[in-house]
Amino acid sequence: MSHDVNKTWLSRRRFMQGAGLMAAGAAASPLFGRQARAASVEEEVRFAGGLRELVQYPQKRPLIRVTTRPPHLETPFEVFNHGAITPNDAFFVRYHLANIPLSIDPDSYRLSVKGSVGSELSLSLADLKALGSPVEVVAVNQCSGNSRGFSSPRVFGAQLSNGAMGNARWVGVPLKTVLAKAGINAGAHQVVFNGLDTPVLPATSDFRKSLDIEHALHGDALLAWSMNGEDIPLLNGFPLKLIVPGYFGTYWVKHLSEIEVIEAPEYTGHDAFFMATAYRLPDNDCLCVAPGSAAAKTKPIAQLPVRSFITSVANGGVLPAKHGVELKGIAFDGGAGIDLVELSIDGGRSWRAARLGRDLGRYSFREWSLAVSLAGQKGAATLMVRATNRSGETQPDQATWNPAGYRRHVVESYNVTIA
Amino acid sequence: MNLPTTCAGLLLAAAAMASHAAPTSITLPPETAALKVSTLPGYAIAMQKCAICHSADYIQYQPPAMSLAQWTGEAAKMQHAYGAPISDDEVKLVGAYLAVAYGSAKAEELAPELRGAAVVAAPAVAQTVDVKQLLDANACLGCHAIDKKIVGPAYRDVAARYHADADALAKVQASIRNGGSGKWGAVPMPPFAQLKPEEVKALAEFVLRQ
Repeated sequence: MSHDVNKTWLSRRRFMQGAGLMAAGAAASPLFGRQARAASVEEEVRFAGGLRELVQYPQKRPLIRVTTRPPHLETPFEVFNHGAITPNDAFFVRYHLANIPLSIDPDSYRLSVKGSVGSELSLSLADLKALGSPVEVVAVNQCSGNSRGFSSPRVFGAQLSNGAMGNARWVGVPLKTVLAKAGINAGAHQVVFNGLDTPVLPATSDFRKSLDIEHALHGDALLAWSMNGEDIPLLNGFPLKLIVPGYFGTYWVKHLSEIEVIEAPEYTGHDAFFMATAYRLPDNDCLCVAPGSAAAKTKPIAQLPVRSFITSVANGGVLPAKHGVELKGIAFDGGAGIDLVELSIDGGRSWRAARLGRDLGRYSFREWSLAVSLAGQKGAATLMVRATNRSGETQPDQATWNPAGYRRHVVESYNVTIA
Repeated sequence: MNLPTTCAGLLLAAAAMASHAAPTSITLPPETAALKVSTLPGYAIAMQKCAICHSADYIQYQPPAMSLAQWTGEAAKMQHAYGAPISDDEVKLVGAYLAVAYGSAKAEELAPELRGAAVVAAPAVAQTVDVKQLLDANACLGCHAIDKKIVGPAYRDVAARYHADADALAKVQASIRNGGSGKWGAVPMPPFAQLKPEEVKALAEFVLRQ
């Protein structure tokens, strides 16, 4: 974050807002930078049209409006300081196509399974629930473009800060159970998923995603009807959502209505735009290119890289100059599980391991905390956080770049004032 | 994989206690974002054609200071990747408007044809108004169909609503000329102020005949 030149402008602005609040006696906690931000939805990203608004949608608390049609809403970052599970009403919303379902009858809802299968199926929600014991997984859904607004140089696309992610407890039936029920033919290569949202114009590609048959048959993908113990909010995919633990949110198809098994090695054609053209990364070791350049070869975006955030203080926030200041935050990865979270309060010169919170599973946010001494350190300071997973993967010190601004996972920096 | 499998009965009981009757219908808040007003010819095209598929905030929240080449590239992406009904010339006009309104381009530095300065007086044409040609030229059918709702209402539904209204023709003409929202849903219709009075009248009569 601190690598972005746009930040200077905002940090100063936020500091001044914070100073105003402090003068008014309205805030004295380390969180007050966040409180100041919530009042104005001050995010760390600059937009051509100025600040974004908070707006309330059905089944949602006020969220940051990214776009109105199709609806795209970002979670205010302070939500992540209140626990490892993101509440349903705070969970981000992202659609690609404007014809979204606004009314769904769960009783007449059907999932069709077709293509290269032994027997085609049309399953009701009751049929799906009767296929076997429900399976539960706590998993992070993170947008591929989360944090795109920090790309430097900037890129077109939804200009997101860090709130296009969330962690929920999903309950449903394993994808492989449904595929086994249909019977997969020997020549199957890809499984294509489609939901009820459709394009406005016939010329526009539908939003469909595909998984390799090995992933579909042997991975942890789930067809979920429950999110944190309740029905999934309509804007998050009611009544059935594809959950692909460890994979970016682009695969988590909402209002899942059709599964087609195909024998082509890759999914192509008019409705394959969001696999064949969009949501792709440079096909090389770093999944990156030199800033401003194009990739010679690309491949579909896939698993979440390791990320970690401080949630208890924002960039531009203020911390007290005393002993025992508790910092906390979250870390997650694509499924190896978080092994280590380290914190620096001196701009990366020295690092200390944080205490990890409860383990909710290898696909979940993992909370962390660390008490630090800031006594006698009045002035500006740079906090940094980095995580390492059980496979030894960690976060880069400098952000890599790709043309669509996907998959940001640089070590985060927070410029704070100790006072 | 080692996902914990929980007793079905326990989960169902927990879900029943926790869940309220989930609404299966929702209403979205109204669409309020509007494109920056401009005298550039790309402005009207952007209002009429970009709005078929997405709201104006898609544009206003892009990064500041994108160049004419970058914004024109983005308009071309809409044409090629998403099938937006805009011609190659319109791509250039829309790109120029967006680059001036939201990016780093300056109107006075644009090529004359992108500023609309080179527009010559339209040659005298036959006095009859060709409704089909108007529908095509203004992308009306991007949002409307005769018999079904797309983004906007079906023409047949408009005709039915105003069937017994003595002011029907005036009202529909006003809607076409000024745009509006709230009568048929949350998505606003852009104004088509550049149309000649006889063209607006011909379109309104066409709609009301359906």
